[in-house]
Amino acid sequence: MEFPINPPIGDRVKRKETLRFVTGTGRYVDDLLPPGTLHAAFVRSSCAHGRIKSIDVEAARSMPGVHAIFTGKDIAAVLKPLRIGGSSRVRQVKLYPLAVDKVRYFGEPLAVVVADTRYLAEDAIEEVTVDYEMLPAVIDPELALQPGAASVHEEIGSNLVYEYHFATEGIEKIFQEADCVIKERIRSHRITACPIEPRAYLAHYDPQEESLTMWSATANPHSLRTRIADILSLPEGKVRVIAPDVGGSFGVKIQTYQEELLLPYLSAKLERPVKWCETRVEHLRNGRHGRDQIHYIEMALKKDGTMLGIRDKIIADMGSTYTVDHSIMASALYVPGVYQIQNYAVDALGVSTNKTTHGSLRGIGKADASYILERLVDIAARELKLDPVEIRMKNFIPAEAFPYRNATGALYDSGQYHLCLKRVLEMADYEQLRKEQKELRRQGIYRGIGVALVMEPTSSSRIHATGGYASCRMRIEPSGAATVFSSMGEQGQGHETTIAQIVASQTGIPFDKIQVIHGDTLPTPYGFGTGSSRSSVVLMPSAWVAAKKMRDKLLGIAARNLNVVPEKLDIANGKVFAKEDGSRAVEIMEIVRTAYGAIHLLPENMEPGLETTGYFVNPNIDYTPDDKGRMNTFSSYPYAAIVAVVDVDIETGFVKIVRYCTVHDCGNMINPQIVDTQQQGSIVQGIGAALFEELRYDEEGQLLTSTFMDYRLPSVEEVPEIVLDHIITPNPFTPLGAKGAGETGMLGPPPVLCNAVEDALSPLGVKIRETPLSPERILDLIEKGNAPKPTHA
Amino acid sequence: MLKTISLTVNGKPCSGEVEPRTLLAHFLRDTLRLTGTHLGCVVGRCGACTVMWNGTPVKSCMVFAVQASGDEIITVEGLAGDKRLHPLQEAFWKNDAVECGYCTPGMLMSAYGLLQKVNHPTEEQIKKAISGNLCRCTGYRNIVAAIKETADNFKR
Repeated sequence: MEFPINPPIGDRVKRKETLRFVTGTGRYVDDLLPPGTLHAAFVRSSCAHGRIKSIDVEAARSMPGVHAIFTGKDIAAVLKPLRIGGSSRVRQVKLYPLAVDKVRYFGEPLAVVVADTRYLAEDAIEEVTVDYEMLPAVIDPELALQPGAASVHEEIGSNLVYEYHFATEGIEKIFQEADCVIKERIRSHRITACPIEPRAYLAHYDPQEESLTMWSATANPHSLRTRIADILSLPEGKVRVIAPDVGGSFGVKIQTYQEELLLPYLSAKLERPVKWCETRVEHLRNGRHGRDQIHYIEMALKKDGTMLGIRDKIIADMGSTYTVDHSIMASALYVPGVYQIQNYAVDALGVSTNKTTHGSLRGIGKADASYILERLVDIAARELKLDPVEIRMKNFIPAEAFPYRNATGALYDSGQYHLCLKRVLEMADYEQLRKEQKELRRQGIYRGIGVALVMEPTSSSRIHATGGYASCRMRIEPSGAATVFSSMGEQGQGHETTIAQIVASQTGIPFDKIQVIHGDTLPTPYGFGTGSSRSSVVLMPSAWVAAKKMRDKLLGIAARNLNVVPEKLDIANGKVFAKEDGSRAVEIMEIVRTAYGAIHLLPENMEPGLETTGYFVNPNIDYTPDDKGRMNTFSSYPYAAIVAVVDVDIETGFVKIVRYCTVHDCGNMINPQIVDTQQQGSIVQGIGAALFEELRYDEEGQLLTSTFMDYRLPSVEEVPEIVLDHIITPNPFTPLGAKGAGETGMLGPPPVLCNAVEDALSPLGVKIRETPLSPERILDLIEKGNAPKPTHA
Repeated sequence: MLKTISLTVNGKPCSGEVEPRTLLAHFLRDTLRLTGTHLGCVVGRCGACTVMWNGTPVKSCMVFAVQASGDEIITVEGLAGDKRLHPLQEAFWKNDAVECGYCTPGMLMSAYGLLQKVNHPTEEQIKKAISGNLCRCTGYRNIVAAIKETADNFKR
């Protein structure tokens, strides 16, 4: 494919949307307050696992300002069960917007109060009393698989709710004949996204029109509309979902929630607008959680460090009311990562527990895979007394091998892993760092140097799931301004800017005269949610397709006007002109007037008006497996190499990041400024995941980290010096050559910081297999000193 | 048990009825409909609700509206002059210090509070001033750069 990257594509254009954000005139769901709005508050389970014996709502019902109270039983009598997501491998269970007979996690909604104000609604939920028959909480996913463990969903009869097995031929032989086998149990811990805007919904049913408008802080408006229409038994045309400004998602807002599907019913029933804005405590307890996988993984190697094969067993804690299997699936498919490993076997087990539902989170599944792999490679290097750079360089997939099909059938679009790592080593001055490390060790300073190369499969597509395509519709208005309707909403990605850059580049309409509408199902064409970093892979190309059709139309009209064939025309400075004779030109405004008002001057068979729709189908995707069970479900493969330098204080256990150097490759960049900022933020979110953030449950299933006091996001003071650069290997499968760009940053810190800390503490025999790298954990590991040694075959 | 309070918000006299427990943040947003002040945690940890209270940046979720009666409040809506952005707003725009925009008003008000008191803040002072404001999108670097640039321009 060609890459016609003409300005302003590729320019560091200032973002259009920023103006309203700096003036406080952005409009988020909680900013809306239609007259007559009522407010909802949820009664939530105070135990992790229990049968609901009774709910007493009478005292609450008589509280001032209370309009209605509904329990799970009330709702199950009038609404259909929710449609659960995920592939056919997920064992299905019946779920309603409120728990009916049984609660399955701490904080699960089981009743709702609707009142005049949010204060009064919250007063009333305090008066609701719930009597439970307590059941044993299933918290540890490994114990959950033991015979005799309590069942989270009795109707399934087991807590094993998902299974996937894959093996290449002859894998046993590879392991029998290897010089060395490294075997480890490594766990990625449970975290969540925590956008600064929590979830927020406002449902407004119009009884005269029998229609519903739903404002939702969702990253997936079209899909939400279908689900609401389904639950209310309305045709989709009577339901409009609007995602106005959304204050971050990072995956957590792409899924549909119980509360989100209940509010439309409440509004229809009460014939009033009903609003609910989540508290932060509710977000930590009820927003989707991510990661939390245990890997029993082994790698077979030759003495010289050549990697021969990997066997992995994944136990993924999917929480109680699991809804998707993307996470465990992505992990299972991408454990071989960036290395030439064609011998691979995996047993992936998804387990139901009495924890909050597991779901999307920036880097879903792929983050676990790259973390486990990059840890394992470092462990192997230490065992074989190889430098962590040497073992990676020896085994990377070479640039000339792309497109590269990995053992599971994934087809990597392009990459230059050797170059990327080389660049970051130069940037960090790796040789010098190692020299300094020796010197510092003599002074008693525990400095560590971590190396990693993480790869992020982006833009997934699965049958009846997300992302098969994206679309944009555009119109050049009679005034000459352009309006673009995007099928995907935005939560900070800057689509209003990047789409306008693409349209300006193709059509010659000035950037400032292009308005992008998104997140509203009424005017926008159908599309899937903003996730899996797919905007730059499918949405931007769909804008490119729409704009290309528009360009062709403008040139067609001009061709008749100038009597020059379209191929010999070009657009610049508000004019279409003949390339060979610039004086033969027609103003774009003249073309616009023709298209709308003088249609007798249009070329034969051309439709009036200036409106086009572009679809772009996610390229490079397999929808069904081959005869060996292999398939590719992601379409682009950005990656980043990192060198991190840390100092570990062995008295306090505190990890200080001295420097974080990274070289990133997401192919061509539509707006490099936006990519840079997103990478910075993504890296910092990864630092939070590696060092501070952890969702911890006690053995009764109570979440111990449900405020920002104990679930600690990185503040500006925890951010180290981050040095960021890019190399560009275009994606050969899209017209813009871009790969996904949102998630790779977050994948880096967990493996590279663990590698660095283990390197720093190697004189003390410290082995890191659990995270986050909190001071308590580091001190504990220093005290223990000697973890079990890897076994040799 | 409602109480009427009067205060000056963005230079204009305002009044409204509040409960004793009404948070200043809710009064600004729900009663005065100044929705630029955002709520992210309501326990004083995220800083999205930061406003100026008698010349000092505070988290307005940690203040009862009645406590601010008779006082002077500046919110993000009060930063821009007549169709002219405040230099901090310009610098946030230029330095790409914003993604989803949700933390931005609080971040701006903390920065504004700093620049009211310190003409030439060091990077450490800037970081300290916004250390109570969480941003999940940008990684902070561009925010610090924007504040620094604004302060540097003040020198001239």
